[in-house]
Parts: sequence; C-alpha cells; structure tokens
Amino acid sequence: MGFNGTSPLLDQRGELRPEDFGAIRELSMNPIGDRIISAFFSPGKETVDFASFVRILAHFHPTETSRSRDGVQPEPANSRTRKLKFAFQLYDQDRDGKISREELLQVLRTMLEMQVTEEQLQSIAERAIQEADLDQDDAISFDEFRKSLEKVDIDHKMSIRFLS
Amino acid sequence: MTAACLQHKSPFLRLARRSSFLPLTGLMCVLLLVFVSVASASRDVVSENNETWRGPAGETRGDSHNQTNSTAHKKAFPVLSFNYEHVRKPFEISLWILLALLMKLGFHIIPGVQNIVPESCLLIGVGLLVGGIIKAIGEEAPVLDTKLFFLYLLPPIILDAGYFLPIRPFTENMGTILVFAVVGTLWNTFFIGGMIYGVCRIEGGQLASVDPLSCLLFGTIVSAVDPVAVLAVFEEIHINELLHILVFGESLLNDAVTVVLYHLFEEFTHAGTVTVVDAILGVVCFFVVSLGGILVGAIYGILGAFTSRFTSHTRVIEPLFVFLYSYMAYLSAEVFHLSGIMSLIACGVVMRPYVEANVSHKSYTTIKYFLKMWSSVSETLIFIFLGVSTVAGPHAWNWTFVIVTVVLCLVSRVLGVIGLTYIINKFRIVKLTKKDQFIVAYGGLRGAIAFSLGFLLTNSEMKNMFLTAIITVIFFTVIVQGMTIRPLVDLLAVKKKKESKRSINEEIHTQFLDHLLTGIEDICGHYGHHHWKDKLNRFNKAYVKKWLIAGERSTEPQLISFYNKMEMKQAMMLVESGSTAQLPTIVSSVSMQNIKPRGPARQRAIPSISKSREQEIRKILRANLQKTRQRLRSYSRHDLMIDPFEDNVSEVRFRRQRVEMERRVSLTATVILFMSVRALEIQDSLCS
Repeated sequence: MGFNGTSPLLDQRGELRPEDFGAIRELSMNPIGDRIISAFFSPGKETVDFASFVRILAHFHPTETSRSRDGVQPEPANSRTRKLKFAFQLYDQDRDGKISREELLQVLRTMLEMQVTEEQLQSIAERAIQEADLDQDDAISFDEFRKSLEKVDIDHKMSIRFLS
Repeated sequence: MTAACLQHKSPFLRLARRSSFLPLTGLMCVLLLVFVSVASASRDVVSENNETWRGPAGETRGDSHNQTNSTAHKKAFPVLSFNYEHVRKPFEISLWILLALLMKLGFHIIPGVQNIVPESCLLIGVGLLVGGIIKAIGEEAPVLDTKLFFLYLLPPIILDAGYFLPIRPFTENMGTILVFAVVGTLWNTFFIGGMIYGVCRIEGGQLASVDPLSCLLFGTIVSAVDPVAVLAVFEEIHINELLHILVFGESLLNDAVTVVLYHLFEEFTHAGTVTVVDAILGVVCFFVVSLGGILVGAIYGILGAFTSRFTSHTRVIEPLFVFLYSYMAYLSAEVFHLSGIMSLIACGVVMRPYVEANVSHKSYTTIKYFLKMWSSVSETLIFIFLGVSTVAGPHAWNWTFVIVTVVLCLVSRVLGVIGLTYIINKFRIVKLTKKDQFIVAYGGLRGAIAFSLGFLLTNSEMKNMFLTAIITVIFFTVIVQGMTIRPLVDLLAVKKKKESKRSINEEIHTQFLDHLLTGIEDICGHYGHHHWKDKLNRFNKAYVKKWLIAGERSTEPQLISFYNKMEMKQAMMLVESGSTAQLPTIVSSVSMQNIKPRGPARQRAIPSISKSREQEIRKILRANLQKTRQRLRSYSRHDLMIDPFEDNVSEVRFRRQRVEMERRVSLTATVILFMSVRALEIQDSLCS
C-alpha cells in the first residue's frame, strides 16, 4: 500500500523517521507539511512503525464501508468525529484541547506564506475566533470547531480512496 | 435586503387586492397583440405587390411612401399620421416580451398559485392560451423558430448557468456527471429508438414505414435531459447541492452527445448505408465535438480574462466584454458544429475567477444582474413560445406512438439511472442512496431543446408524428413531473439546500483540510483528486494569475480575497440598513482602531456665539467647502459617480479614513474660524 510508496526511503528495520517523510518532495512544498509529519509521531517518539502508520492513515478511509474493519473499537477510526479530531490536533500543537489565537495565527501564517501583512492576519484571526467562539473564552474548543464545520461534508472531504 | 423587498411589495399588495388589475392588463396586452396582427394581416393584403415590406430596410418603405404622397394630389399637411409598418418588428417583439414578463409578474402576485404549480407550467399554459386566441382569429402564430431559439434564447440561460456554476461540487462529482451524461444518454437513445422500432414493426399500419434510423434519430432527440427545464423546476424546490449538480451537470454535458448523435443519424439517414468505419468516426467525432467545444470556450475565456486586465479606466464597458466574449465562444463553436453549450460553459468557468478579480464591484453586480435578467426573460419566452407553437404546429396524433414514447422515456430513464448508479457507486466515496437515484431519475426533464431539434428534422410524413410525440413528452415531463416533484421531495424527506453564507472559519478550515489531504495523498503515493487540484492551483498562482489579473491583486491569496469580500458585503449591509454611525463590533477592532470618531468630544469645546453670527459663518463655510467639492466633480456621461464603495476594500478603508480626516479637518477649520470670529468680537467690544 502506501507504505510501499515510501519504500525507497524505508528504513531497513521497518520504521519511519521524520527525515524519510521529508524526502517526499511534494510534502516539503506543502505549507503544513511539517505538521502532518509530526502528527504521525507520538509525542516524544522518534520513529513510527507500520502499525501506527496505518492507524493514522485509517482516519482517511471512507466512512461507510469500514463498519466491518473496526468492530473492536467502540468508535471506528474513520468516523466523522475521529476525522475532525485528527484535524483539530493539527491545529492544536500544544495539545491543550483548544485552538488559541496564537495557534490560529501560526496556521494562517504558514498557509498564507507571508503574502499578507500582519494586520490583515490579525483581522482574519480575530474575525474567525469571534465567529466560532460561542463560550467567549477567546479560543476554539473542539466542539466549536466541529460546529463551524457542520455544513462541510467531512466524510467526503477527508477520505481517500485506498486502491488496495 | 429582505426588508427592502418587503417595502417594495406593499404597493403591489395593495394593487393585488383589486385583483382584477393585473389579469386585466394581461388581457389587454393580448388583445392589443391580436389586434395588431390582424391589422397587419389586412395591411399585408393591400401591399402584397410591394415586396420590400418584410425586409429591414425602412428606407425603401419611406421612399415608396413619399412617392405615393407626392404623386397623389396635394393634401393638407398631416399633423398626425399613422405609420405602423415602420416600427412593426421591434414593436411586436417588445410587446411579446412585455406580455411574457407581465404574466410572470402576475404569477408572483397572485398568492398560493406559486406553491402548487411551478412557473414553467403556468407559462406554457399562457402560451397555449395565447396560441389558441391567435389561432381562433385565424392569424398565423409565431412559432418557436429554431434559429431564434438556438441563437438568441438559449445562450443567455446557459451563460448564466455556466458563469455561476458551483465549481467545487461540479469537479468533485465530475466522474458521476460524465457517466450519466454520456453513457446515460447513449443508453436512452438506443433503448428508446430500438423499442420504438420494435413497436412500430409490431403495430404495422401507419407506423410500418418508419425505418430504424429515423427511430434512432427520434430516440436521440427525445432522450436528452434539458437544462432549461431542469433549471426552471429545480430552482424552486431548493434541493441539496449534490443532487442539483448531478442532474444539472448531466443536462449540460449531454449536449455534446446529443449534437454528435443527431448529426450522425441525420447523415446516415441521407447516406442510406452504415458501415463500421462510420461508427468509429462517430466515436471520434464525439471526442472532437466535446473537447473542441471546451477548447474554444477556454480560449475565449482566457481572451476575456486578459482583456479585463486593462479595463481599469473604462469601467462602464467591462460587463460587455464578458457577454460578448462568451457569445462569440458559443457562435464560434456552432460554426464548426462543436458543442456550443460546452463551449459557453467552459468560457464562463475559465473567465470568472480572473474577471472577478479585475472588475469593479459595480461591474460585478451588473454582470450578475444582467445575466440573471436575460436568462429569466429567455426562459419565460421559451416556455410561452412552446405553448404557442403547440397550438400552431401541424400535428399528427397517433395514440400508440405517443403513449409508447412517453412510457418508454420514463422506463429507460429509471433503468438507466439504476444501472449506472450501481456501477458508479463502486467508485464513489459518498454513495448515492435510493432516494438520490429516484430524484435523479425523476428530474430528467425534457424541454425546448428537444422541440427545436425536432423542428429541424427534414419534412416527411413522420416528422409531424415525431413532433407531436416530442411535444407530448415535454408536456408530460414539465407539467406532471414538474408539479409533483416538490411534494415528492417533501414526502421522501430529501435533504434540502442549506441556506448559509460561508463563514471565514469554513474557508480557513477547508483550505487547511485541502492542504492536509494533499499531504496525506503524497505520503500514500496516491495521486488523487487533491493532488491534481493542488498542482493546478500552483500552476495558476505561478504563471496564469500574473498574466490575467491586473496590478497587485495577482498575488493576493484566495483567503484574503474571500475575507475582503466578506468585509465589503458587511460594510454594504450596514450602509443599507442606515447605521453607519454605529461602527460594528464584529469587524476586527484592529483595522477600526484609528477610525474611532473623536468628533463629539470636539464639538463640546466650540464656544457659543450669537445666532446671526453663526448663520453668517455657516454660510461662508458652506460656500467655500462646496466650491472645492464642485471643482473635483465634473459631469461626464462615461464616468460613474464616485461613491465610497467603489473598488476594493483597501480603497474602502482608505476612503473611510479620508472621509474621517476630511470631517476632522473641516471640524478643525470650523473651530478655528469660530475662535477667530469670537476673538474679533471680543476685540470689537473691547475697542468700542
């Protein structure tokens, strides 16, 4: 599967390191590439083995057809909530359960790649937080995140057809 | 926006209470039109030998008029004369359009009608009525001329649809749409054509002379889902985006198939024999027609986008470029027998992002409203003419043929959709449920394109029979299916369109997810949807935008333009609701910080002076301030009035700041003047 796609970079011991990911050219051009890479590695660990790799990728399996796969877990890895949680964790780097204004600004800065002024960034972040923040704590919690994306078809958007 | 609408409606509501007003106007228009055509008929008889009356040359008419005047004996100078022939054609066209629009207006005023019957049915009904009246008088009714339809009535509707096509759902479901459009239409054609031929063979009698190629030709014409009808009906039921784009996209893309098959079968009918080579050429032709159409449209689209880059000094004609380039794309495609509809769609889709970045806000609004206006008029006229042509046209009613056609259309559509969905669902991420399939099948309406294509058939004894059957199918789908689709949608509890404005959060997160998915796809080594979209975006940003967008907007990221648009919309909403004094709290405090009005604090410091003095000073100030403003504003027909919400938001902010500064400056000037006047007064009182 996909693991074999990165096989030229595959470590002999069957584990991946961050440098292996970095060798994928398109990923290095991706503005949030490094965040995606770090999402594969549990905090503190330097390598990821095949099982964990697949577990992360399982988030992106299309929703309907995997009822049979994950009968063991109470909630399948690719349910809408789990998908959203994965995306949320990419925003929330310090894992405190909220997206603070600073974290949002960081994301905006990387996505907009220094083509905008600081003032515009501040305005956008301010507006985004004011729109989404329902409990007025000046940060976006997971529930608020989920609510602001309720009109987006996450099941479709965050799914990749695995050709296996 | 809704408040303003309601305010406009109230005088009409008052009129509607005297409900006889509007139908009376309509009736008067009808009578006038009939009178006019009768009068022209009598005039025809008189001037039969004068052959130039049909031509557009008004001068020859005028000449003969003058001649008759001079040759006749000298009459008194006519103070008031009647010369209708001079303006006949534009007069009648305008009257028709006016009648059509008055009817449309009437339907929206009469309460309750709109919920039961879709507008298209009402318009067909009106057409039938008018056609009946005209026929009863014995006049020849104007028929839905094929040239008129394809060259003038259809393009605005398609351009409107193509320009405002929601790109994201369209490209996400492109595979499904293509399968439905191409394979579905082919299946429909061959199934209907084949079965009709079989039935004709079995029936015998009048139908025995129908040959297989004619049947296939008939199948082609009657199997194409019509974009006009689909738009007209689906517009009112507010169905969810996925289903809407599936049916609508299919109706647009099947034009290529229809064009190819139609020409193919027509050629074969004349040639007589069909060989394998012909069949292969047919397939090649399909690719040429569709891809060629798209290419032509894309070329014109790029030309249009490039032109719009330079229009910053002539804002008034900007919308015209959009319309004309698109129309030229359509006509150019038609020249080569390529698919005009696909060309038009491609042109609109390619042009739109760049044109929108270049044109002023006013031009954008103009483009939007003109397109909606034209497509609305076209749609109305098409349905009315459909009704009139039904009454007028030669008919050959054959019970078997017609009923078999209608039944076969339904059956083949249902079978086609079910079969194709079964195959498609294997490849889709979000599967189509049974409800979705039903709506897609039920929403396959036939419309005026089928009618016009039928009209183009060469005259034969079968043509009238075919035409009658086509009209019946159109009526059945539009009226029966159109009327019942809304209660069915409610009954089946199909998901409706969620009325929502896109929030900035959605935009940020959607872009974030795009990047995320692209990254994951790269990791998997799987070149999916996101990968290609990302590549296209990069190419767009690196090369295309530089050429096609003027000024510094070319490097503006999408998020910023989205944000600016939102700010602008909000600012305009505030102005419309009249609360400019109250600065909004939602808009970011950062950009608003330096514009907090410090006026009130200043005013308190102004000393009080006598009333007459005050009046004098005011007069002086007003005169001087006005003079400067007048110097700046000179009237020119080709300039648009400068008003604060012209170009883009940075200009808005700049103007806001400038207005504020001006206000502050004038305030300061006032204060200084008052102080000096006061000082002078004190000096006077001291001296005297």
